[in-house]
Amino acid sequence: MPDTVELRAIHKTYDHFVAVDHLSLNLREGSVYGLLGPNGAGKTTTIRMMIGINMPDEGEVWLFGEKFHRQQLQRIGYLPEERGLYKRMKVLDHLVFLGRLHGLSNAEARKRSLDWCERLQISDWVQKKVEELSKGMQQKIQFVAALLHDPDLLILDEPFSGLDPANAVMLKDVMVELKKSGKTILFSTHRMDQVERLCDSICLIDHGRSVLEGDLKKIKASYGKNTVQMQYEGNPPFDHNELIQSVNNYGNYVELRLKPGADAQQLLRTACEHARISRFELVEPSLEAIFIDVVGQNA
Amino acid sequence: MHNAWLVVQREYVERIRSKAFIIMTLLMPVFMASTILIPAFLSDMKSGVTRRIVLVANNPDIADAIQQELMASSKIDNSAQSKNAAGPASPNSQAPRYSIEIDTNTTDAERDKLRRDVSDGKIDGFLWLSDSDLANRKVVYSAKDVTDFGESIELRNAVHSALVKRQLGQKGMSDAEIETVLKPIDFDSVRIDKGKEGASGIAVFLVSFTMVMLLYVNVLVYGFAVMRSIIEEKNSRILEVLLSSVTAKQLLAGKIIGVGAVGLTQIFIWLAIAGAFSLPGLMSSRSMLSNVHIPMVGVLAFGIFFILGYFLYSTMYAALGSMVNSDQEAQQVQWPAMLPIIFAIVLSTPVLQHPNSQLAFWTSMVPFFAPILMFVRIMAETPPMWQIILCIALMLLTTWGLLGLSSRIYRVGILMYGKRPTLPELRKWLRYAG
Repeated sequence: MPDTVELRAIHKTYDHFVAVDHLSLNLREGSVYGLLGPNGAGKTTTIRMMIGINMPDEGEVWLFGEKFHRQQLQRIGYLPEERGLYKRMKVLDHLVFLGRLHGLSNAEARKRSLDWCERLQISDWVQKKVEELSKGMQQKIQFVAALLHDPDLLILDEPFSGLDPANAVMLKDVMVELKKSGKTILFSTHRMDQVERLCDSICLIDHGRSVLEGDLKKIKASYGKNTVQMQYEGNPPFDHNELIQSVNNYGNYVELRLKPGADAQQLLRTACEHARISRFELVEPSLEAIFIDVVGQNA
Repeated sequence: MHNAWLVVQREYVERIRSKAFIIMTLLMPVFMASTILIPAFLSDMKSGVTRRIVLVANNPDIADAIQQELMASSKIDNSAQSKNAAGPASPNSQAPRYSIEIDTNTTDAERDKLRRDVSDGKIDGFLWLSDSDLANRKVVYSAKDVTDFGESIELRNAVHSALVKRQLGQKGMSDAEIETVLKPIDFDSVRIDKGKEGASGIAVFLVSFTMVMLLYVNVLVYGFAVMRSIIEEKNSRILEVLLSSVTAKQLLAGKIIGVGAVGLTQIFIWLAIAGAFSLPGLMSSRSMLSNVHIPMVGVLAFGIFFILGYFLYSTMYAALGSMVNSDQEAQQVQWPAMLPIIFAIVLSTPVLQHPNSQLAFWTSMVPFFAPILMFVRIMAETPPMWQIILCIALMLLTTWGLLGLSSRIYRVGILMYGKRPTLPELRKWLRYAG
């Protein structure tokens, strides 16, 4: 079965600035794929080249097993990071317009819009103008717009930013459901906790290059259980410890990366002398730790 | 194509529905009607006022003759007005417009006294017709306000015709002979086209003028609307969603056509309103219309060149709009779009006078001038068919080329937010693959 998305060494320069540097990646059909990277790493440019808003200077984009052509866009739903709607249009008219742009008939677009609005609890607003809606509400509208034509590939750029927890859960539930029904989801974000929970595979981009790509579980396993998560009260000394490679301290919670061959029990004993330990666990590193580690090395 | 059509549809429906459109469409005829009716109404009111004028002349006969001329001309005016009012004339309009006194004292002292009288408001003005001034054929009208050109012209005509009649009379002509000599000539110029008499000179001028004004006003209003609509899209950030299903070219073309269709709708509504109100008047005054003969070809050419010109200029505005980020910036860059149209207006006079000259040929081939200049040529003296076809082809090509150019600028420009590009940057943008 062909991959839903296959980028073959795509490359894009603006002036002398290399936005994307010979990037390759593959999205398996039915997977949830996390596209990660610090600000300005080239995530958005990559996505734009994936859907023909920009053309790569070099390299090829393959979608659904064929080289990119514009008819494929009918099978893709896109929620860009830069959110925008026509402010003076009525919500329903707007959704119908966007649905029809993706090939739906007028009646079908209307029916599906109403169904989705019902589902996301915005039915009361469909006859209102967009400008009367709150930011979060507008975001849900755009989410609906990306889903209307039942796309096989869904590209979501920072889908949760600006949403309150209740709405974020609502969106997450929809995403999980879509995944179960076999859709492929590309998901770009800074929020590592979400990626960790939702994604099967990731690609970490930095300076336009892929620095880490593959199955999330395998990536984490490759680091081994070299990380200690500790909940504590007190003031344990982590700074000049010969056992520790790096520290991410939150005050009463800390993540420690052990040096190769270091003994975790030794660390626990040292910590007990200085603080009350309420939790001590040896785990695989969190994605956040990996992110900071990899991006830090590249900086 | 389907998607471009959807963009057209959305643009059209949203705009037609907007309050601004409805208000503008209804208000414009009211405004136009009032610019025509209010001055007429005001002058109607003024005609009720009698102007007190002193004629100062050594020779009372001359003053008498001028007085008669003035009375005669104001009587004609009054009778014309009461006909217009289509009913019993109001007492106002029957009051004489001038109350005239004759003064034979042409000393400087008298002149000073009259000046004081004008200042004090005892009289409205005086005409100085001393023998020495008349010998020099120089007459001065002194009044508190002399900006009513209608009045000045009326006075001048009265003086002139009184003097001419008097001189002719002195040469021994009878009054009837004098009338015949002075009778104005009804002059008309008619253009010969393929052996038949075609549009009259006045018609060519009128239609050309209408074309120029309609094009100018519409390009100004709707070209700018295209530009703003593009800027709106950039600022609302909706573009990225749209570009994931529509190409930049489709989007731009859709916008230009959609906004353009709104403009045409508005013009049709206005024309319909104007027609409904002026048709009865036109029917009753057929004599006026018989002079203004416009051939079918002219109407057709008008339609074609108006629409082509309109879209050409809208595309230019779209290109400019794709370079800027705000309405303020848009104001600053819109002059390149206006320059050619103004240039074409200036050129239209020499082209109208010599429609077959080298100048006319070359300038009418420039796509940005063509909607005005080629149209003027067709009206004045139809050029060979190949020239018209070449000209239309050039306009279409330019529009298409501009569309391609602006969609490239658009695609790069929107995705690089921030400042307006400089010219070298713009060149670089055009080289990007997109």
